[in-house]
Amino acid sequence: MNPLISFETGVREILSHKFRSFLSMLGIMLGVSSLVATLALTSGIERGTRQFMEQMGGLEMVRIIDKDISSEMLDFWNLSPGRTLQDAYAIQESVPLVAYVAPEFDEGMPVSAGDRTMRVRVRGVWPEYVAATDSKIAFGRAIADLDVQRATRAAAIGSSVAATLWPGVPPEKVLGQTIFLKQVPFEVVGIFELYERESDRKARERERSASRAPNTTQRRWDPFRWKNEAVIIPLSTMFYEFQSGLFPDDSLETVRLRDFTVRVSNLDLFREALGQMKATLMATHRGVDDFEFETREDWFDNMNASIRATRTSGGLIAAISLVVGGIGIANIMLASITERVREIGIRLAVGAKARDIFLQIIIESVSIAILGGILGVLAGLGLIALLNVVAPSDNTPFVTVGSILLSVAFAALAGVISGIYPAFKASRLDPIQALRYE
Amino acid sequence: MTQVFLEDVRKYYTLGGQEIRALDGVSLKIEAGEFVAIIGPSGSGKSTLMHLLGCLDTPTSGRIEICGHDVAKADANQLADIRNREIGFVFQSFNLLPRLNVVENVEVPMIYTGAPASVRRARARELVEKVGLGERMKNRPTQLSGGQCQRVAIARALVNDPKIVFGDEPTGNLDSHTGELILHMFTELNAAGRTVVLVTHDPEVAAVTHRVIEIRDGKIRREYDPRKTRGAAS
Repeated sequence: MNPLISFETGVREILSHKFRSFLSMLGIMLGVSSLVATLALTSGIERGTRQFMEQMGGLEMVRIIDKDISSEMLDFWNLSPGRTLQDAYAIQESVPLVAYVAPEFDEGMPVSAGDRTMRVRVRGVWPEYVAATDSKIAFGRAIADLDVQRATRAAAIGSSVAATLWPGVPPEKVLGQTIFLKQVPFEVVGIFELYERESDRKARERERSASRAPNTTQRRWDPFRWKNEAVIIPLSTMFYEFQSGLFPDDSLETVRLRDFTVRVSNLDLFREALGQMKATLMATHRGVDDFEFETREDWFDNMNASIRATRTSGGLIAAISLVVGGIGIANIMLASITERVREIGIRLAVGAKARDIFLQIIIESVSIAILGGILGVLAGLGLIALLNVVAPSDNTPFVTVGSILLSVAFAALAGVISGIYPAFKASRLDPIQALRYE
Repeated sequence: MTQVFLEDVRKYYTLGGQEIRALDGVSLKIEAGEFVAIIGPSGSGKSTLMHLLGCLDTPTSGRIEICGHDVAKADANQLADIRNREIGFVFQSFNLLPRLNVVENVEVPMIYTGAPASVRRARARELVEKVGLGERMKNRPTQLSGGQCQRVAIARALVNDPKIVFGDEPTGNLDSHTGELILHMFTELNAAGRTVVLVTHDPEVAAVTHRVIEIRDGKIRREYDPRKTRGAAS
């Protein structure tokens, strides 16, 4: 028998018992909608996390930090010059797997313009800093080589610094203005782009369309604050203007760096890059192991683990709902074939084979399941829309076509499995007994 | 041509530990174009004989051939094919599918031959017209009278153009006038050349046929032609 005809028979059966079919679909609907919602939520989190990682400078960023020396090496502590510009030169020279080297001196200090003042961490950097931290200049320019060579008083500032010191002034007008760092005048030569999470951007857009008054009272932890409140000046300027007095015995070349970031050129060779750096720095530190690398791998691994956990638990809930839904369908199908013993007997008497009956019942249950699955997808989409309105989160749920197909496929599978036993039972009926059944 | 051939057919059941000999050595031959009644009181074994002739069941022992097919040796799928193509059934209680309309009910046997929908629809409509229900094609069985239901059942029995039509007490649920009309349809079917076998306990039904086979206690008691011995049977 043509499966299409079974399908026709099955669909007719479903339509003639609309309410009963709907009830049996309900379980599958719940399962599929929770599956769709879970997949959307996790892919939303995943996408948000990936964006966040990129904006934070990505996995490629490695900080070189001081480490306590082990006790047996304590006597040699003096031998090591520590992290100095020599390290930066050495890495530039002999570690090809590192793309950018960004040594820095930083100091918290008041920054003022006109009558406005704020405290920020001012960083004295090389031009590579911008690339090493994966930052972007939105207006003007970054610190250039010439700035470092000549120790000019040029500063590139984060967008929140510009907005705080010159409220309401468009960024392009801020370029060329003077800011005072500890009363030393600097020229603003560049402004970084604004970094924000998707949720903050949406909140800002909502505020802009609603009231135009920026809401600054609601201040949450902002992972991009260090980027938005950045003030960078040439490394040499930083040293000569603000720090040489603190270290009278040191020159720019020998003074210890406050911060030291590099950017690895190829993530596939991450380990190798770390190895090369380690070897190089061991040489400049004269064999004293007083430094280590702070990578973001652990941090990102944690994020990935939590995404996996969310997905697993959501998937588990969906799986349980699908199993319950499948049991519901099996139950209804069993009731339905008991009710239709006589019908099956008639079909057998006029020439239906056992496999025709089997196929008819299976197709009925699969049709119920797929229909339930489609309704479930719609319900899931509705659920996601509702979640977005009721509880907008940092990561907007994100529905993929693949997740929808997957959910419907699972529903169909549940239909097949739950139809097997009732179909088997129906196909084993004896035509004479079935015809006599009242 | 012999369409039905039975040789020493036995059918035994065990019911509650007791062996019941529903058919106890029946031999029978029905030729193409015959009009036969199988008659006997309830418990005589005529229903069992009917089920065997209709390929709904297989015998405990003996040989059965229906239209050249060896029924005793056939498996369930082959029996289904014989029921589907060679045999048409008309039941006492009509046995229509309550959720299908008249045309759809008539189509059912054709579904299992794999005929395409358009062919099925056309053939079913033609037969529904033929049994005089052209006005009621879209009605459900519950909206029809008993006589109309039985006409739908006859149309269904004919839809695959079978060689033999079986009627199992086809007038049992009908009033006598309607019953006569249905019997008349069977007579016409036979006149058109089809083999018709009616199973009944009603001598009046048997009287319209050309050959009466009387069953009692699982055996053929006697056989006669009611046209020649009219009155003798009752």
